[in-house]
Amino acid sequence: MSDILAELQPIFRDVLDDPALQITRESSAATVANWDSLAHINLVSAIEQEFHIRFSLGELAELKNVGDMIDLMEQKLAAK
Amino acid sequence: MNAYRWSELHTGLAHSFSVQLTPVMMQDFLHLSGDTNPLHLDATFAKEAGFPDVVVYGMLTSALYSRMVGVYLPGRFCLLHGIQIDFSNPAYVGDWLTVKGEIAHLNDAFRRIEIKASIENGTQVISKAKIRVGLNER
Repeated sequence: MSDILAELQPIFRDVLDDPALQITRESSAATVANWDSLAHINLVSAIEQEFHIRFSLGELAELKNVGDMIDLMEQKLAAK
Repeated sequence: MNAYRWSELHTGLAHSFSVQLTPVMMQDFLHLSGDTNPLHLDATFAKEAGFPDVVVYGMLTSALYSRMVGVYLPGRFCLLHGIQIDFSNPAYVGDWLTVKGEIAHLNDAFRRIEIKASIENGTQVISKAKIRVGLNER
């Protein structure tokens, strides 16, 4: 498990209100309960604040699952 | 009423206003909510519960968060997405409350504003809130 995936777990559990949630790189809005459009905004905003990074709408539109998000985050964190 | 555009917003932008709680507000909220709990209506019951007088409805004071975002920050183009409130202390009729709001985070991708807000009575914090709003800018 990547460090980022581990750090994302509590954010997803909090935002999606599911203490038992276990996300993986393959997790997506299609496979995780309660991950609707408003929850998606809440997730992105929470990640931005936790990791002190910013996403553009274009970058977010390309993401298919949590793994894509982690890859994008690694790029941004490496560039800081 | 303020009418902030996205380009005018920044982290740290803050507004505040003050309001005095009145008996009419309690009557109005009673009719609006239908909450007949005696803690808010019966001074004897409230004193037996350890309070000096009837306690003002928490959701009445929290309605002031609606004014904060709808009128002040960001104002005209506000679209409320969500709010998380923690109540710290009771409020009473006659109290002067100050409502404060400050932008804590701006999400450019979705034009989402996160506001840290509080309601204080001059000596104590009545409640704190995290408010999430969008900007329905035309």
